[in-house]
Amino acid sequence: MLYQPDTYKIEQDLSRFGRTGNDTFIPGTTEEGLRQYRRLLRNNINNTMVQAFPISRQVLPDEEWNELINLFFADHDAKTTQIWKLPAEFVTFVKENDYATLWSKPWLNDLLYFEWIEIEVYTMPDIEAEPFTLQGEIREGTIVVNPEHRLVLLRYPVHLYAVEEAKNHPGDYFMMVYRHPETREVLFADLTALDTFTFENIAHEQLSLSDIAAGLKLQFALSDQHPLLTNMIAFVQKMMAQKLFLGYAVERKEQF
Amino acid sequence: MGFRRDIADAFLKTNEINPDFVEVAPENWINMGGYWGAQFKEVSRRFPVFLHGLSLSIGSPDELDFDFLRQVKNFIEEHDVRVYSEHLSFAKLDNAHLYDLLPIPFRDDSVKHVVDRINQVQDFLGMPIAIENVSYYTPVAAQMTESEFINQIVSQSGCSLLLDVNNVYVNAFNHHYDPYEFISGMPLDRVAYLHMAGHEQVSPTLIVDTHGEAIIDPVYDLFDFTVAKLKSVPVLLERDFNFPEIRMLNHEMNQLRSIVNKYWIKDVVPA
Repeated sequence: MLYQPDTYKIEQDLSRFGRTGNDTFIPGTTEEGLRQYRRLLRNNINNTMVQAFPISRQVLPDEEWNELINLFFADHDAKTTQIWKLPAEFVTFVKENDYATLWSKPWLNDLLYFEWIEIEVYTMPDIEAEPFTLQGEIREGTIVVNPEHRLVLLRYPVHLYAVEEAKNHPGDYFMMVYRHPETREVLFADLTALDTFTFENIAHEQLSLSDIAAGLKLQFALSDQHPLLTNMIAFVQKMMAQKLFLGYAVERKEQF
Repeated sequence: MGFRRDIADAFLKTNEINPDFVEVAPENWINMGGYWGAQFKEVSRRFPVFLHGLSLSIGSPDELDFDFLRQVKNFIEEHDVRVYSEHLSFAKLDNAHLYDLLPIPFRDDSVKHVVDRINQVQDFLGMPIAIENVSYYTPVAAQMTESEFINQIVSQSGCSLLLDVNNVYVNAFNHHYDPYEFISGMPLDRVAYLHMAGHEQVSPTLIVDTHGEAIIDPVYDLFDFTVAKLKSVPVLLERDFNFPEIRMLNHEMNQLRSIVNKYWIKDVVPA
């Protein structure tokens, strides 16, 4: 760095004032100009968050929302070069500082995350799917997953109820958020625990439905795996129609 | 014209806006997938792309972010980008991004610091960059004039100058100098690119460079004066929000066109 210490300090003071609005003396500046920078910088942060979290903004009282924005901008060192990704840092900031407990809003972390994840999936870099065909045997085939997805676990069903009602229904809510491969729209699907287990085994273990059902039968000493398999097939058929599953893996020919 | 989501259809579907090039902030498009990633690919297929960055923070005391620059370099290669410009300001300090353009103190050590960083960026990218004179709303511990500061940086770094004519007008109003004298004092042989935009007067003593209003006549007059002194360079109409009907944007572009056509060869038109 080729700055002299006093020039460095001037920039530090200007940055600090912009982030906090706290009175400071910076040589040669005008009060009106400094106030303008504070307004512009804070507006940028606030507008970005309002755009990313319209529901949270609506349900939080003004004083709580403004406090969150002020504390976030003042205390959090923003890492991303891309301001449209800053809401992800906001979600982490709110969670780490536990405003959900502090303000008796247990749904707050889930609501922010739920709102952010839609943006994340909508904008995520394109991921090429494994080669697939629509022809296959649903019980034994290897099912290809749409790779542009996020599996979400919420403690409060903010996607089903208004927040004050969601507060009364704590639990484990699995939700799939994924991008339609043709329309590029973000789609949401509620998953049962069995759906989630099935999905995880398809996506990460490349197991067939028969293998998954057989594993469950063994693990839980079930007398009959058929009811499980029926449920799994229904789930896969439904989600194949909705493009969470794309088809069946194409056998790769071995090269010699 | 800058390519913005709000007016994307006018570029890609209705062809109401048909510029010679488009300008985008790389920060808005790097690693963008899905619908908008596809839209941008189409834009870069159809139009030459110029980049106008926001986060490089050339005037920051922080180390340059070479991971970010690597992404910019890849983006430049992927989209065959012709021009990469940035702002003569800082937007990051002590590892915290600020997401706006703060003024660098006009000082001797600032010149050395910024020149060194511009050289590092140009070496890394393997191409010259253009640096834009920014609007600023307060002087900050200055030891020289803005004009001296810009001249020293351009001459010592070998970068080009992106001359934002509206910013000159805004700064001249806010800091009480003559914009025509200022333009005449710029290193005009190093101007590679012009920006034009609207602004908003927020108090009797302060104008803010908003890119959200139509260009006013005194700025067109200053543009006319500037163009008369320059060889032909690309001209960009900046509009970031508060979009009017497309015909109004085209009207502004045509006004710019009619001015440049008075002085420059006819095959160079504003975009």
